Amino acid sequence: MKQPREKPISAYLGDADMLTVTRVSDTGREELFVAIGADGKVRAFNGHVDLGTGIRTALAQIVAEELDVPFQAVEMVLGATEAAPNQGPTIASETIQVTAIPLRQAAATARAHLVRLAAEQLDCVPDDLLVEDGVVRPRAESNRFARYGDLIAGRGIRLRLDAGAALKASSAYRVVGRAQPRIDLPEKATGAFTYVHDVRLPGMLHGRVIRPPYAGFDHGPHVGASLAGVDEGSVADVPGLVCVVTIGDFVGVVATREENAILAMQKLKVTWRDIPAIPDLNRPEEAIRDNPATPRKLADRGDVERALKGVGDIMNRSYVWPFQMHGSIGPSCAVADWRPDGLTVWSGTQNPFPMRSDLSRLMDMPEDLIVVERLEAAGCYGRNCADDVTADAALLSRAAGKPVRVQLTREQEHGWEPKGAGQVIDVRGGLDLEGGPAAYEFETRYPSNLAPTLPLILTGKIPPVAGVAQMGDRTAIPPYAYANMRVTVHDMPPIARASWFRGVSAMPNSFAHESFIDELATAAGVDPIEYRLRYLHDPRAVDLVRAVAERANWQPHTGPFSHGGDGDILYGRGFAYAVYVHGTFPGTAAAWSAWVADVAVNRKTGEIAVTRVVCGQDTGQVVNPDGVRHQIHGNVIQSTSRVLKEEVNFSADAVQSLEWGAYPILRFPEVPQVDVLMVPRPDEPPLGAGESASVPSAAAITNAIFDATGVRFRELPLTPERVRAALNPLPPAPTQEKPKFARRRVAGPLVGAFAGALALGAAVLPWRAPIAPVERPASDMFSAAAIERGRLAAAAGACNVCHIGNDGLAFAGGRALETPFGVVHAPNITPHPEAGIGAWSYPAFERAMRQGVSRDGSHLYPAHPYTSFAKASESDLQALYAYLMQQPASPRKVPQTELRFPFNVRPLMAGWNALYLSSSPVPKDASRGAAWNRGAELVEGLGHCSACHSERNILGAEVKGDRHLGGGYADGWHAPALTALSASPVGWTEDAFYDYLRKGRAADHGPAAGPMAHVVESLAPLPDSDIRAMATYLASLNDKPATDPRSASAGAIEAASAAEPAARMRFPVGARLFEGACASCHNDTAPVASLALNSNVHTETPDNLIQTILHGIPEPVGEREEVMAMPAFGASLSHQAIAELSDYMRARFAPQKPDWADTAGTVRRLATK
Amino acid sequence: MTVELLVNGERVEVEASPQTPLLYVLRNDLALNGPKYGCGLGECGACAVLVADRAVRSCAVPLSALKGRPVTTLEGLGTRERPHPVQSAFIARNAAQCGYCLNGMIIATVALLRRTNNPSESEIREALRHHLCRCGTHLEILDAVRAAARAGSPDETHRDHP
Repeated sequence: MKQPREKPISAYLGDADMLTVTRVSDTGREELFVAIGADGKVRAFNGHVDLGTGIRTALAQIVAEELDVPFQAVEMVLGATEAAPNQGPTIASETIQVTAIPLRQAAATARAHLVRLAAEQLDCVPDDLLVEDGVVRPRAESNRFARYGDLIAGRGIRLRLDAGAALKASSAYRVVGRAQPRIDLPEKATGAFTYVHDVRLPGMLHGRVIRPPYAGFDHGPHVGASLAGVDEGSVADVPGLVCVVTIGDFVGVVATREENAILAMQKLKVTWRDIPAIPDLNRPEEAIRDNPATPRKLADRGDVERALKGVGDIMNRSYVWPFQMHGSIGPSCAVADWRPDGLTVWSGTQNPFPMRSDLSRLMDMPEDLIVVERLEAAGCYGRNCADDVTADAALLSRAAGKPVRVQLTREQEHGWEPKGAGQVIDVRGGLDLEGGPAAYEFETRYPSNLAPTLPLILTGKIPPVAGVAQMGDRTAIPPYAYANMRVTVHDMPPIARASWFRGVSAMPNSFAHESFIDELATAAGVDPIEYRLRYLHDPRAVDLVRAVAERANWQPHTGPFSHGGDGDILYGRGFAYAVYVHGTFPGTAAAWSAWVADVAVNRKTGEIAVTRVVCGQDTGQVVNPDGVRHQIHGNVIQSTSRVLKEEVNFSADAVQSLEWGAYPILRFPEVPQVDVLMVPRPDEPPLGAGESASVPSAAAITNAIFDATGVRFRELPLTPERVRAALNPLPPAPTQEKPKFARRRVAGPLVGAFAGALALGAAVLPWRAPIAPVERPASDMFSAAAIERGRLAAAAGACNVCHIGNDGLAFAGGRALETPFGVVHAPNITPHPEAGIGAWSYPAFERAMRQGVSRDGSHLYPAHPYTSFAKASESDLQALYAYLMQQPASPRKVPQTELRFPFNVRPLMAGWNALYLSSSPVPKDASRGAAWNRGAELVEGLGHCSACHSERNILGAEVKGDRHLGGGYADGWHAPALTALSASPVGWTEDAFYDYLRKGRAADHGPAAGPMAHVVESLAPLPDSDIRAMATYLASLNDKPATDPRSASAGAIEAASAAEPAARMRFPVGARLFEGACASCHNDTAPVASLALNSNVHTETPDNLIQTILHGIPEPVGEREEVMAMPAFGASLSHQAIAELSDYMRARFAPQKPDWADTAGTVRRLATK
Repeated sequence: MTVELLVNGERVEVEASPQTPLLYVLRNDLALNGPKYGCGLGECGACAVLVADRAVRSCAVPLSALKGRPVTTLEGLGTRERPHPVQSAFIARNAAQCGYCLNGMIIATVALLRRTNNPSESEIREALRHHLCRCGTHLEILDAVRAAARAGSPDETHRDHP
């Protein structure tokens, strides 16, 4: 059990062996900053938390330095509400810059007091003492000393924080300013660290939530009021289900085991009302301009209008920033333990104290009964779903009466995390006669980001009203001395649910500032850095800019194309500078940052690589140089990712990017080289380093692209499509070179009958004479040998693929099979006298099997493949009868089959059998040998392969002749051709058929999935000789491969790899989806066969590929080289995404085949089945 | 039902459905917290474990696939006191920020170094291509992998266990 609990403040204050330093807060609460024990160990407390940045290490360095104790003696307690001071949310890079100040003062207070105590004990004056590693001794001698711990023992020292306590001079620092390895890594690297995800309490249950369909939107009257109903019966059979919880639009499930909570989440039938459409945020500019706003003037200097009158060429520029995600790698998780007298939560929150007050409101419980234990979670770079999931856990724990852990899914985190808001900035300006900036008018629009804790609005505790925050003003004031300048921010309510995300509005604002001045420099014919320096008057900024230019070996230039190119690849270099200003306007500056970015642009494909970044930063005093370097690296890489790749995609009513394929981020092969320059400022106050280095990114990169290409990009992200559209516009509406296949005509909406449904088509066909009922045959009537043979016959016939009971009981029936005629329910064929076939004599059974006539004389619908069974041997059918009569009888009646017009009209169907029931025997050919003949009997008879693998005509009859076994449909899947009509790039050989039927996969074809996987499972009892016989027969229907399979397969793989660039050009979104969602497993090194060989990408229709993407292959059958299953993506990818992905896969893996005609329609049809 | 597994060199039995993804059993039944839930789709790599010598995504491995195959988690590689050489390299190079992806990075590196003695820069980057890091720790991670590869230390985990 991992149940971390912080000691409350009172435990420290009540400890006689403890020195404490406290401060009384504005609200009268006594807050603890430092506690030192008689063992010399130091605990220090900060209200800000470690979001993965290593702040825990840096804060401990500050305390160790100021106290003069070894670094290892300090342990930080961060954010726990019982122990840590309330210092607000961990935002704005202010932990070191702001909240560490009282910590440092508290340490200095403690040190001064301990030195005084030591002076008394050692009988000297404090000034004569020095402290090393927690030991106080006179400077002059070394044999008299006092340890901190000994001075404290038994004294119960209570100190008030002295804000005026003398702080150490930086020249005396021994710990601060030196690289300090992260405290947490040894545990994190060995699995010993306790993240919030790892908390386990005794008796803890597992919860999951089901979110409403308006993913990522949290205001409007429908929010909290869209639930129409929950069918608890839909999860009644989930093992260990504890409860289903519904409050407003809040829906959750609790189970004893996590996988069962997931199952319940997936199975619970929830009905939602229709929800309103949202503005089109895939084109954020329009939506943001249309959003009602209140202008707020931030600066008005000189006379902009008059100055612009003198400008010959006024530059009106607009910059557009998309909605983006924080994208925590670990979806949020929390544990809550609710009891009537109090609530404890274990949370990864960024805001322990504000969240506690939200929990108090949600749970109707006073704040002082709520304890927040703050544990580390995945990095969040702003506010993610950590608070939401904590509130979820509290609600579910209250309902279950036990501790509950709630883990959000990837899809929920992606969908519901408050996004980094999109932003639109307009700049108007131009050059004066001397080439200087005549005027600068800057207007920025930033949708608000307050995002109330989700369960508060889902449950209706607070109204779903959009609040307006004033956060668009970060770094809205340009750093340059523009004489005529007006800066306005348009405050506006949120559109999509949003929160602050690294750099907040400063990043887009600086994109505009730094792009525009670059453009002014080019227009003025001046080097971009030199131009900036003319108007940059902050000496530390100037120092930084010069230092970075020098480090990068910047070559002054006055226009683009300074770095040349190589074929289709163009090189360029760009500069940008920013200081991140946070907090209420005019705000506080964090570290200064400047970038020189090098890019390579492929002018043909539009692909961009950021190859190198020189990033300089003036952070003031640096506490942990390794930590700051780490933050700079992280900011450079993450912001490069945001600039090049990231935008949230929306459907008509919700967030549509729900996993990493639809929201790609930078990967290892794309990571640039980063050269960090840190300006040494040991005597200046430390500044926030968490966000600054992100801020210049966008402009540095787009300025570099301008240098490479001569084109300015003002909207992000810089996807290949966007770049290509500007550099290398494709001819309009390219004519499709490849012929498009029309969907092959099949009976009705495809989906043929599939194996062995004894469908009672009584209503549709003329009656035949009934056969009298009999007593169920006695169990000793059949020989053991007959029953065993019957078992194998049932296996060969794969009876249970269709006839398995819904409860898993063999032969009990009930499965709904979709056919062109309507839904057919497979009947119960257990020997129950009423519900099953217990009253059937063998002649009745045989008639049903061979002629499709039920015992009572009614006709069976040809979903039951009696046309094949007609060819089975007499002895096999007798054995099958014997075997079925030995099975446990199930009394469950299956639903009546209701066929739809016209198949429920008897005259239309009369004579069907006369037309199609052929009693032709199984092909026999003595010259072919025993195996071939046995194989023919199995394939054409009991095995009834043609029931699925042959096309059916309009009346549902199998097509004969050349197209027999030439491919058909079953249960929404395409059953590929088993003959020479096969579309597979590698011919089917006997060995391939054998492997496929026996092992569930063939090296050159891929695995069995969908209904075929069940067939392979069913065939398992058959002896090898039978499987080999089927393979022999099937192989004889195929041409002997012209080339050997190895080289055919190598050829197909090579063709696919050669086709990749073209496929990526044609289907860029699909290519990204494949890279993000598929390529982790489907790559060259995986043991699964290459997709280039997979039948599903080569067939005429995309059905099987789409089915596999939608539903996955949860448990691959047969022999497994690959232990991984294929996950289902139906709940993770949008229909549009699946279509784009399928189109890309077709173009890449089956490059010789024509495009599929209607992937989007096929996805819709299969997904909504 | 009872499923037998071989995890970190020990035979263990758990009561779970054979379809259960390995990840949940490692975490909840065996209290092995190294592997982390990241996406449940095999995309991000946070849940990686070694099955024999290969790095796989435990969120997509059903228990039924593991018959007789040895599983090694981050905990099975080494401990805080006696870390595996790859773990040591990651610790020494500060190769994590939040550390949530660290499990997958270390597991993928161990698998890489088991199949390739002296990987090139592009082999390293390819091996980590489908392991996502959002903090932007890629440079430290690459550094750690290079250091581990250079050290070429003996790999003393349970790879040869039955």
